[in-house]
Parts: sequence; structure tokens; C-alpha cells
Amino acid sequence: MTSSDRKLLYEHIIQPGTGKALEMRRGQILRIAQTSGRQCADFNCFNLHDYKEFFHTGRTRHLHGLHPTTGDFLWSAPPRERPMMAIIEDTVGTNDVLYPRCSAFLFEYQYGLPVHTNCHDIQAEAQREYGLTPDDVHDSFNFFMHTGVGQDGHPFIAKNTAGPGDYVELLAMIDVLAVPNVCGADVMMTSDFELKPLKLSLYEGTEVDWARVTEPPKMRNQRNPLHFKVKNIKADRELYKDAAYTPDFTNVPIQIADLEVELTGEEMGLLSELVKTGKYGNTDADVLRYVFFTWWIGEFMRGPKHVPK
Amino acid sequence: MTTTKIKLRLNQQQLELIDDTVRAGESNSREHLVRRALHEFVKANLPQREKDR
Repeated sequence: MTSSDRKLLYEHIIQPGTGKALEMRRGQILRIAQTSGRQCADFNCFNLHDYKEFFHTGRTRHLHGLHPTTGDFLWSAPPRERPMMAIIEDTVGTNDVLYPRCSAFLFEYQYGLPVHTNCHDIQAEAQREYGLTPDDVHDSFNFFMHTGVGQDGHPFIAKNTAGPGDYVELLAMIDVLAVPNVCGADVMMTSDFELKPLKLSLYEGTEVDWARVTEPPKMRNQRNPLHFKVKNIKADRELYKDAAYTPDFTNVPIQIADLEVELTGEEMGLLSELVKTGKYGNTDADVLRYVFFTWWIGEFMRGPKHVPK
Repeated sequence: MTTTKIKLRLNQQQLELIDDTVRAGESNSREHLVRRALHEFVKANLPQREKDR
């Protein structure tokens, strides 16, 4: 069986200014395709059976960098931290998880346009079909959004390079509500100053599709509501103190101890040279601790290392 | 042989990481693991020093 043997379940064109909430079962595939090209697609994603689990740009950015693409996952927010969807195809490779969704505020503040298409409101309107509120919209995965970070540390939006027919494909790792929308930003570089439709296709995935997904980590700390001390979702808006609350933080109190390490004269010489560089700390002990943990990360830590090259 | 004792200020979680690594067979003691880190770090970051040895 090949990917081309997939069964098509649903097709829909999302027009400029709109989005669509789609129920997806584990193993189904959503293709988001360009029609005329150069169009950014913002994307939200919820666990279909528990909307409090939702896609998290931060964890995804941490694990896959600023431009996730084929082979990467869309992770849910802590403490759930599960792969919700896998990117199994990406014909452009210019996705973004750095920028937040555009919003009504942004167009009013930056452009003087108080009534304007924007991804937050489009998402809210699409999600309303499933009873969600504007507060439930979360930071988006921005497909086909070409971005970078300048030498001054500021992010920038570059010209959209997606052509007609380009697409991304997302395989649902769990049952999800997937919500793509045509980005509403027509006065930014995001979609080359023109709003264009996007084509959505929902498929039943095949074994070939699953073969493209790497085995994700399974950890004790990928928690669910069974692990929560508060079991019920708060249903009123006011915040008030729980009189019965007693703090129960992990590993508290933090206990400090000295680990004595005996170094030979030669090793002290090595340490002194490191101290002299001024790059690793001020005291022998500070430098040795820096050296140890930096070395440990390089040798043993799983996933991206997040240390300077 | 002259030796110098360096005291590393660590918390219980950091020590747990060190102990896990020792238990995994990477070293026979906490102290030896730290010394191994020093040698390997110098090798990677002060290559000229290593060459001169």
C-alpha cells in the first residue's frame, strides 16, 4: 500500500477570512495545500476529547527549532507534552512557530484598522462551532510563513515562497480538533500582500504514512488530568483563594551539599587555564561545575542540546 | 603528589543526575566522573593545550 492509496474522506476550500474546525481521528491525515500560492495558514489543534490539551508553540520550538518541518511533531502544552500531530510531508519548508497569531488589536494599533481580518478572530469563529471561546484560541503553528531572526535578535517576516500546489501533510497521533485558517494578514509580508484560498483534504492514513513517523518518547511526566490535584475544570471567571491549600512543590526544600573533588596538580593546571579564559565562571568551583554539566549535556542529554556552538 | 580539593556546590537533583550516571557505568565514582568531564572538556575546548601535552 502506498500513500497514493489513501482514501479521501473530505475536501474543503477555506476562503480568505475564514477557517474550518475539522474532527480528526488518530491515523487520519490533513493536507493543507496552496491554491495560487504564497499563502500562510495559521493552525490550532486540540485533543478532541479534552480541549484543555492543546498545541504548544513553545515546546515545539524547543524541540524542533523555529522552523519545524517533515519528521517533526506538533507537541501539546505542559504538562501533557504529547505529539498531537506529525508533519509527514512539507514541500516548502518555511514554517514558523515564533510569531504569535495576528489579532484585531495588532491591526488597530499598527495600521489604524479596527475592523480587519485577523487570525485570532478567524480561529475563534471557527472554534465556536465546537463551543470554544476566544480565550481558548492559542498561539498558532504558522504553515508556509517564511520568517527568521536578524543579527539584532529581532524576528522578521520574509517573502512567502510557497507555490501553487505546495502542501503540508499532518498525521494525527491522537484524536484531534484541527483548525486551519487562511491568515488574515494582507498588509504584512506574510502572504505577499494578498489573501488566497487554501485547500484542505482529509485522508485515512496508510501503513506507508505511519512508517514516516519516528517513535516519539513516552515518559512518566507526560501527565493527564488523572495526575492533577485539582480534578475539575474551573467553571467561573473570578479567581479566589482555596482556604485548604497547602503548598506541595516538587523536591522542595532544595538541599545544597558540597561535593569534594580532589584534583591533581596537572588537573588544577587544566582548570586554571579554563578559568583564565573568563568564559566559564569566576572561581575554580564555578568553572568545574560549568564544565561538568556542559560536558554531561553534550554526552548524555537526549534531544536538542541548546548550547552555543 | 600535590592535590587540591575543590568543593562543588550542588543540590540533591544535580547529585541525583551524577549518581544516575555513575550507576549507568560511566564512572566508578562521583569524583571520577567530574574529573573525566574536566579532561574531556579540555580536550574539546582547549585543543592547543592538549596538543602541547
